[in-house]
Amino acid sequence: MNINAATLEASTGTRALFLGLLALGLVLIYAPAVYLLLASFNPGMQLGLVPPTEFSLSWYRALLGDNKLLFALTESIVVGLATAIIATPIGLSAALAFRVMGARRGTFFLFILFVMFVPGTIQGLGLSVIFKELSIRPSWVTVAAAHVLWALPFAFTVSLVSLAVVRPNMIAAARDLGASYWRAFIDVTLPLVRGGVISSFVFAFLLSFNEYARAYYLVGRQNTLPLTMFGAMNSGASPTIYALSGAVLIISFALVGALMIVGYRHAGPGGGWKKSTPASWKLLMLWRPNARSPLLK
Amino acid sequence: MKERVELGSSTALALTRRQLLQRTTLGAGALAIGALGLPGTLRAARQINFWASATLDIGNDWQAFTKETGVDVAFTDNGNDPGPVVAKLAAGNANDIYDVGGLQGGSEKELAKQGLIAPWDTSKIPNYGTIWQWAKDIPYLSYQGKIYGIPAVINADSMIALQDKVGKVDSYGVVFDPKLKGKVAMEDAWINSTVFTAIYLKNSENEKIAEPGNLTRDELGLVMEFLIKKKKDGQFRTFWNGWEQGVQLVANQEVWVMTGWEPIVYAARERGINAYYAVPKEGYEGWANNTILLKGAVDRGLSDTAHVFANGMLAGYYGCKLGTMRGYVVPTDNNGKYAGTHPDAFDPAKVKALADHVKDKFAGKVYWQNTRPDNFQLYEEWWQKLRNA
Amino acid sequence: MVAEASERLVRPQTLAGWLCRPALALSLPAMAVLVGLGLAPLALIAIWSFWSFDPATYWIKPELTFAAYRALFETGRFPVFVRTIGLAGVTAVFCTILAFPAAAVIGLMSGPRRAAILVVLFTIPFFTSALIRSFAWRLVLGRTGIVNEVLVAVGVVDQPIEWLLFSNFAVAIGMIAAYLPFAVMPMVLVLARIEPSVIRASGDLGAGFWTTLRRIVLPLSLPGVIAGFLFVFVVALGTSTEIQLLGGAGDSSIAIMINDVMRVVNFPLAFAIATSVVVLMSVLILLANRWLGLSRMFEDLGT
Repeated sequence: MNINAATLEASTGTRALFLGLLALGLVLIYAPAVYLLLASFNPGMQLGLVPPTEFSLSWYRALLGDNKLLFALTESIVVGLATAIIATPIGLSAALAFRVMGARRGTFFLFILFVMFVPGTIQGLGLSVIFKELSIRPSWVTVAAAHVLWALPFAFTVSLVSLAVVRPNMIAAARDLGASYWRAFIDVTLPLVRGGVISSFVFAFLLSFNEYARAYYLVGRQNTLPLTMFGAMNSGASPTIYALSGAVLIISFALVGALMIVGYRHAGPGGGWKKSTPASWKLLMLWRPNARSPLLK
Repeated sequence: MKERVELGSSTALALTRRQLLQRTTLGAGALAIGALGLPGTLRAARQINFWASATLDIGNDWQAFTKETGVDVAFTDNGNDPGPVVAKLAAGNANDIYDVGGLQGGSEKELAKQGLIAPWDTSKIPNYGTIWQWAKDIPYLSYQGKIYGIPAVINADSMIALQDKVGKVDSYGVVFDPKLKGKVAMEDAWINSTVFTAIYLKNSENEKIAEPGNLTRDELGLVMEFLIKKKKDGQFRTFWNGWEQGVQLVANQEVWVMTGWEPIVYAARERGINAYYAVPKEGYEGWANNTILLKGAVDRGLSDTAHVFANGMLAGYYGCKLGTMRGYVVPTDNNGKYAGTHPDAFDPAKVKALADHVKDKFAGKVYWQNTRPDNFQLYEEWWQKLRNA
Repeated sequence: MVAEASERLVRPQTLAGWLCRPALALSLPAMAVLVGLGLAPLALIAIWSFWSFDPATYWIKPELTFAAYRALFETGRFPVFVRTIGLAGVTAVFCTILAFPAAAVIGLMSGPRRAAILVVLFTIPFFTSALIRSFAWRLVLGRTGIVNEVLVAVGVVDQPIEWLLFSNFAVAIGMIAAYLPFAVMPMVLVLARIEPSVIRASGDLGAGFWTTLRRIVLPLSLPGVIAGFLFVFVVALGTSTEIQLLGGAGDSSIAIMINDVMRVVNFPLAFAIATSVVVLMSVLILLANRWLGLSRMFEDLGT
């Protein structure tokens, strides 16, 4: 199987240009996060940088005892996972429906999209009124419901984009060979859109993890992380919130770093990829969009 | 068991039975945790859920409060913005989940009218009598003869100034001084900023303004036109919104003078910035955060517990703790008494100094802040014009 | 194609038959969510936007009126619409332009390992709070911030540059930094899908890098580019954080305006604003669909 995707050959100059723009993007994205990481080692109360000689882990120690923040983090993770678990299959299913649909495609597409534009506060308030009428108590479930709605159009679009590689004649071929719709989906479509499904999952999780306008009106007694952060920024924050963000960064990098080290140590030269890539690398590569169905050679 | 289809570098998404079992267990576990409710939200018999601005929070020290009063307190941050708080009360589910609220004063009347909050029975709050009289007398706390709000925190605001940059200032005029163009800030809230501007215009520019906290249509037009002109001239570096933003502006010397909350001075000093709180000749802006009793708590039979809670906030420990943590004052002399009997926990001299400081401010010219002046919707329209300018 | 056509010709006779129709069954969950959680509150909000403010209760009463919509035009709300949509559009354009080369490197010019690492790199910052990330820009761009400190130390300028912060520049930087990954992800998904044989064929026919990019890669990756633009536009439209933290004095956006209006319990106006935004954007999408054939772009490619 060909694991090398299309590779575009480019001159050194063009390569440098593209790599430079990539680097610019990464710098922009990481500047604030790295600043926060460095500033979280500042033992003082005010957010700011200090020379490395004054670095201290005091706020990280305080973070371990900051129950308010940790409970909020747990709540956000639960809501995020629920959102991702529910929104991803629904989005994929809606994308499949779009593909199979006939004339009503355009309307369906627009219907899913227009929901994206409802302002978050109003959506949250409206939903909380409806839940109140239906006597549904606010809790992480109601928050997840609103977040599923928020994430659904994104999951739908991502699934749709990744479904582009599945051609109807592949499905037709499978059906002609006697596969049911379900078999054709599992064995042909799903492997091809695996990257999209994973992207969709991660997208939905992150959208929910960072959302606070809708969550404000739908939380139960336990606030989600963005709400706690928002409240802390408004009325008096302990720098543990910066330690939290620093911790997330450190842990993520450590995970990725570990995976990389394990991967490099195991990979043989060139062709060793197929057999010697360990499970952990394959986990990382699950996202890899270049997987092709065995039907394509 | 499904066949594994080898696709070279990646395994197909065919799940082995073991993987499926693992994943569903994990999922069920997560759901179970969620359904049970996270620790801390389990309902104890005498537990009050206090939904208030983080200014009223004492964090892990609520446990000590429980020891003193016997009431278990679960604190939830309400974001400090009266808008969403009132909306969540009026249209949302706040009454189902929270028991006692704490927010800026002024909305008590409408919440009472809509039956969203219940009046406090002061006969059940022995410490109510110890509240400083002028704090008890704030007009918006009562409606139709009943008391709906109990002052939790009270202060008089003016300006934070950097000594090394502007010296000793004694008038709000510095905020509007063209010499300090781009070096000043005000709060992004008409509720405070109009009061400060009105105070200045009334007392230093001799404009005809009756009550800076409750401007008439014409007075409001006057004040806002003044602010709009200043903004267009580039007078303001920015408008700040919330604690962290305010402190950052001062501590990073982004601005040299700023109308704002007093604890920002303490925070700046902690960072070694030579900031001080101005004593303007035009007077201060008074504000209070008050506790309100939510109807939902009464319906759930928690009214008595709530009254014990409210009483506890005035008992002394809470006031001393809040004063030490944030520099805010609970308006009762019980704080001083408590510090006196517990000198190893709190320094009685500091507690008394803080209380006297606030009392002194209120002995002078103080104009009260109000979330609901008569023309409050007009205020917001003007503020929108200011935003568009 | 043949399979699809034959599906459409047969109309089911029973309910079970209808439920087995793939399009209906597949779209049912999404429709349930959209109608139940999306349309129902929206309908409520739209109806309430025609009710009046009740000064007696500070809530709303069922007296129908256009007052809220009139206020939209009379009290300076419309400029905020224009500014927010404009800002969202500009952000989306910049993000798309910056994301494409990044996605091209990841999807077309990297081996599988490097691609995976880069994708993960683009995602990690999102696990930290967006609010404090925007806040951190104040410390990077401010008068005593890093950028100014470096510039002054090196001698490029004598005084700190004022317009780095609390300006449109700062808002743009903050928004691009916050939303760039939204644009990169869909593009990577699509770029990595491009058949190697097509690229090789293009090379064999004598096309250089830029020609291949322009005539083969770009058209094939259009759904991803459109998706990226759309994602950034949507989140940028609904945000208030960057503008409030990094913008000039009292800068406004639609989300900030709704909050302001709700703070004075002018709920009919808040609902009118929300309804207008949804209607306006729906019209825009409809027009975009008509002129650019949006939905058709997502249909079968490479058939």
